[in-house]
Amino acid sequence: MKKVKEELPFGQTISVKGANLWYGDFHALKNIDIEIPERAVTAFIGPSGCGKSTFLKCFNRMNDLVAGCKITGKFMIGDVDIYGKTDVNELRKNVGMVFQKPNPFPMSVYENIAYGPRTFGIRKREQLDRIVEESLRGAAMWDELKDRLGKSALGLSGGQQQRLCIARALAVKPKIILMDEPTSALDPISTGKIEELCDELKTSTTIVIVTHNMQQATRISDKTGFFLLGELVEYGDTEDIFSDPKDERTERYITGRFG
Amino acid sequence: MTNTKVKEKIGRSAFTAAAILCIIAVVAIFAFLIVKSVPAFGKIGILQFMFGDNWSPDRLDSYESPLSGYYGIFTMIVGTVAATVGALLIGGVIGYFTAVFLVFFCPEKLKRVLASVINLLAGIPSVVYGFFGVVFLLPLLALFAPNNGTGLLATSIILGVMILPTVVSLSRTSLEAVPRAYYEGAVALGATHTQAVFKTVVPAARSGITASLVLGIGRALGETMAVVMVAGNSPAYPHSLFNSFRVLTANIVMEMGYAGEVQEGALVATGVVLLFFIFLVNVVFGAVSNRAVKTSAKPKKERKTSLAGVRIREFFGNIAYKLKAPYIGRAAAIVAGCFTGLALLFVVGFIFVKGVPHLIGNGYLVFGKFEFGGSRITIFPAIVTTLMTVALSLLIAVPIGVMTAIFLNEYARKGNVFVRIVRGAIDVLSGVPSIVYGLFGMITFVKLFGGSSSILSGSLTVSIMLLPTIVRSTEESLKSVADSLREGSLALGAGKMRTIFKVVLPSALSGILSAILLSMGRVVSESAPFLYTMGSVISATPHSYTDSGATLAVALYRLAGEGWHINEAYATAVVLIVLVLALNLLAEWVAARLNKKLTGDKK
Ligand SMILES: Nc1ncnc2c1ncn2[C@@H]1O[C@H](COP(=O)(O)OP(=O)(O)O)[C@@H](O)[C@H]1O
Ligand SMILES: [Mg+2]
Repeated sequence: MKKVKEELPFGQTISVKGANLWYGDFHALKNIDIEIPERAVTAFIGPSGCGKSTFLKCFNRMNDLVAGCKITGKFMIGDVDIYGKTDVNELRKNVGMVFQKPNPFPMSVYENIAYGPRTFGIRKREQLDRIVEESLRGAAMWDELKDRLGKSALGLSGGQQQRLCIARALAVKPKIILMDEPTSALDPISTGKIEELCDELKTSTTIVIVTHNMQQATRISDKTGFFLLGELVEYGDTEDIFSDPKDERTERYITGRFG
Repeated sequence: MTNTKVKEKIGRSAFTAAAILCIIAVVAIFAFLIVKSVPAFGKIGILQFMFGDNWSPDRLDSYESPLSGYYGIFTMIVGTVAATVGALLIGGVIGYFTAVFLVFFCPEKLKRVLASVINLLAGIPSVVYGFFGVVFLLPLLALFAPNNGTGLLATSIILGVMILPTVVSLSRTSLEAVPRAYYEGAVALGATHTQAVFKTVVPAARSGITASLVLGIGRALGETMAVVMVAGNSPAYPHSLFNSFRVLTANIVMEMGYAGEVQEGALVATGVVLLFFIFLVNVVFGAVSNRAVKTSAKPKKERKTSLAGVRIREFFGNIAYKLKAPYIGRAAAIVAGCFTGLALLFVVGFIFVKGVPHLIGNGYLVFGKFEFGGSRITIFPAIVTTLMTVALSLLIAVPIGVMTAIFLNEYARKGNVFVRIVRGAIDVLSGVPSIVYGLFGMITFVKLFGGSSSILSGSLTVSIMLLPTIVRSTEESLKSVADSLREGSLALGAGKMRTIFKVVLPSALSGILSAILLSMGRVVSESAPFLYTMGSVISATPHSYTDSGATLAVALYRLAGEGWHINEAYATAVVLIVLVLALNLLAEWVAARLNKKLTGDKK
């Protein structure tokens, strides 16, 4: 009766061809092609409202939640067409997300991190304990938090909350992590910690990060894409984009002449 | 994974089914009202029914043969309008000035006490007010009245006191929502505190104050038991302050227990006329309860209001102007504030002083076993009945209500027709007066279960009544859960069901729990829906849901009406008040407490 579904092998690269997206009548993304390499940090920059978050949310299909949102084009993660016959939950397990504002659940630190693994059927206490520790170590906060695993996550500082959210995303062992301006609400020290974290995580995970801050893009990313009014104007190695932009609009933006 | 998919499907269907049940409830009530009243309207004639002033039904009248009784309810229409106006003159005016007092002239410490006293007293059962009318107000009025005190004045006073909490708390909200700049601007121009309040701030809050009065009118129109206990109930015009008269709700209560065929139809038709009035009030004032309250918080956005609405608003908004002296206004506010606090405390205090000694001194009263033919009274069966009713009605209403709220907030897309129908159904349910539910329950559930009243029928009836409150407050608390939490859960690969049950509902728990506690209070304090669905005889302790029984509130109505066991009645009233206040206090505490827990135990 139950059809055994073949496990789809999600890869770590993202490849998009001819992507268009509409919110109702509003054409928010226009003909975007991009190849995002595995295990590297790719940054999206651009003035606010240009569609960076919208594009990012296409990769884990969070736009499915928006009524009236229509998407065309081909989105491949590894060899999987994610808008084909893919299980959305399985996709989101493989493509984690960290949001602009930290959003820890109103539960204990431990419960927050165990939430994802439990979703996918892990119930054994020792196994969960191990995952919690690994994830917190992965987010470089085990030493900070090991004595307060049972305390509410809402009692943590903003920076700690955001790193906890990263740890929470790591707990389901994603192959890709999407970050939407993860440091825009944080102080410089917490921002520094998260940037260091990105550097460590990219040895095993593909990271796509939206940032408002061009210094941040130069500090942490290997590739950079510049968006303007729903178009991907220019995409390439970060060094090239910032030292020798091909497009005049990119140049004007990175030299601070508009946006 | 397929497993998850199945769960999602089942969940979705279950939530939708709950919403459909709400619609079915409304359709059933309206179908019932139409099916039962149309033949009566036809047989009697709409005009004769509405404008005839002779009500002397013959219970043998049937639809086949010519009528021998008379079925005109005009005296009761006049009675209802008069009692409502009277309540508004007393409760509306005092409530309005009390709100002004609370916000502008009350010392901070007293303010908190007074405000919570007023809020808590909103939950006091209407039979308790009626009982207070019987034992205190009527004897007092009889000192100078030509009769025993019953009539329009007593009714207006009792209803006025009953609508005070509604008027005060909503007026207060809208007064507090007036931007501080208005007040500061006036003071900066040299106005005194009192002038600034009456000439600038109060007029700015007019629309919200009007909305509070409209809600008060709604409450007065639909009130049954308290009125029945002090109005006298003869089918006559209220031609003086002291003569026995009857309101529409009372007509239903007085006769539905033994009505014949046409008579029963005429009683349902009375309910239809009552609903029509309630509907009219809401339309005329352009303010269907909820929305009016919400817009009142934004005084700048003027709602569309009909001419009558504008007139009334000006009348109340300008009372201070009419008096030509804000200082008289201030005095009125202070007097009204003191009156409200003292009046409400007095009602409770009087009953406590009389009732507590009997409660303590008479163990048999609370824990006794009913003796057939004995002369002693025990309310133990009533306590058991009350508990059984609370349990069953919540067991029915809470799941349906919470699931409907989940459907509305988590699944429904805005503007969808089905969603609008569900919301409309819930608005309608909340506008139907409790006596109409009682009538519906008696003619549908009781007949369905073989014709004799039972706790089951009563619980079913009251559970429909509870739906709107549960749905609305659950939806409010679901709305207050940040979307970022839902996104966080979905982004981890969790399905909708897991997100709802593990993240959203736990965060909304305090709101839902306090709604449940308030609903318990409601079941405890209602009596009109139970009288003829559940029985009203204080007899043997019920053993099952098919037995009949009387809840504490119904027992109090009976004891007060018979007049033989007045001490026991006082004691019963004390038990009722304590129960309801405890539930309301607990609800407040739960809401505050859990909210604190959710916002994090810092360090
Ligand atoms: N849910 C939505 N419905 C309609 N329009 C939206 C929605 N989300 C974003 N938009 C619009 O799409 C455009 C791109 O938004 P967004 O992707 O959030 O920009 P960015 O992240 O680059 O600041 C903006 O014009 C925004 O107003
Ligand atoms: Mg954005």
